[in-house]
Amino acid sequence: MIKRLLPYKDLFVVYVWREFNIRYRQSYIGALWAVIQPLSMMLLFTFVFTYLIKAAVSDYPKTIFFYSGLLPWTFFASSVNYSLTSLTENYSLITKIYFPREILPLSGIVMAFLDYVIASVIFIPMLFIYHIHITYYILWMLPLLVLLFVFTISMSLLLSSLNVYYRDVKLATGFLIQLLFFASPVLYSIDNLSLNFKLILFLNPMTFIIENMRRCLIEGRGVVLWQFIFVSVIVAVFYYLCYRFFIKTERDFADVI
Amino acid sequence: MSSDGIIMFNDVWKKYSTRDLFHKSLREEITDIFKREEREKLSDGEFWALKSINISIRKGECVGLFGPNGAGKTTVLKLIASVTFPNQGEVAVSGRVAPLISVGAGFHPDLTGRENIYTNGTIIGMSIKEIREKIESIIDFSEIEERFMDMPVKKYSNGMNARLGFSIAVHSSAEIILIDEILAVGDEAFQVKCIDKIRDLKNNNKTILIVSHNRKKMEELTDRILFIKSGEIINS
Repeated sequence: MIKRLLPYKDLFVVYVWREFNIRYRQSYIGALWAVIQPLSMMLLFTFVFTYLIKAAVSDYPKTIFFYSGLLPWTFFASSVNYSLTSLTENYSLITKIYFPREILPLSGIVMAFLDYVIASVIFIPMLFIYHIHITYYILWMLPLLVLLFVFTISMSLLLSSLNVYYRDVKLATGFLIQLLFFASPVLYSIDNLSLNFKLILFLNPMTFIIENMRRCLIEGRGVVLWQFIFVSVIVAVFYYLCYRFFIKTERDFADVI
Repeated sequence: MSSDGIIMFNDVWKKYSTRDLFHKSLREEITDIFKREEREKLSDGEFWALKSINISIRKGECVGLFGPNGAGKTTVLKLIASVTFPNQGEVAVSGRVAPLISVGAGFHPDLTGRENIYTNGTIIGMSIKEIREKIESIIDFSEIEERFMDMPVKKYSNGMNARLGFSIAVHSSAEIILIDEILAVGDEAFQVKCIDKIRDLKNNNKTILIVSHNRKKMEELTDRILFIKSGEIINS
């Protein structure tokens, strides 16, 4: 994929910049929106679980617990949302000119990553306010981020190319993401669940990623190496299949779109 | 057929479907995968947009494509630009292709003229550095006043859009330039300028393909004209 994109790197840069410009044009608070979404979700969940459903979610402060899960989740969900329609919306480009089509969904992911970085910035003072003890396990964040990226790219390539053929995909994805949200440990921790339940939830790679990001960030625990390798292999195979599918369908985009 | 062609079509067939593909069921798609070998046959609601096309264009040639609407002219350009692929036969193109995106397509309405020069320029294969060097001359050629360059393109007139698009395309360093119906845009003066520019490109040994309905202008401009009718090249 990198080899295919290298001759088009300027196009990629300009395209990301173009998306960025389009998004914040005629918007008053611009990039602040990146923070507002996870922050308001965090406040909502904290309110619900403090006053309405008095359940013990974890031993950690609820705000920081939710926010640490919402960060990777929001990145995933908004990446998929941005990239999903990226091909169909750029109909006029796809039918006129050749370039590696993955530039379109990928630039959506880069946009979501920028949001993620901005939203992460306010996470740092939160860690200090709640006196979270930061350990060296935080370095695990890097490989976990790579995993999150690869999984997100795979999903985006798959869904965006399917959406060219069947617009049902767009309708189904909103619903699918909502389901996946509850299947991912954003609102809860899988620690207290039974083994069978854990196994079912681990079918969703987001479970592994979110749970472990939280562990190494606020709980000061590391990732179990064999689990990491196992999930990495699955995600890598998934990526390979999705990318192959994308390359194969790409040739017909202009005819079908 | 000469072997030194920069663009070669070898017995190219291309089919399209009159049916909206959206309604093709998943079951049909899946069975289609197993019926690979029958791809060259037509199934329900399909027709040949191009039938056994053989073209060879040498470097530096300027060729016109002429024919009624729906004859397959734009399909030929799309095949050259690798936007779409033939069902049968092969298309070989050596060198970078700059399709002239027809009137304002590829422009984003919310971005300014200047921003659109960058996005459109890189899309047709220029590097950021190249655009930076050429931007003054692109703006000059389009005859759009400097003060409009920082205005969103959605406020441009159609003519301004087309002029800017044409100007970007002719400034690219691609070897092959495809021009689709562009002679119909802009006012008289700008059209004259376009034609001069095309002559200029021709002298720089660029390969040019022009699609137009204006036969007289095309005869002045091109070395030869290919006549296409219902997907076939005819002699006339």
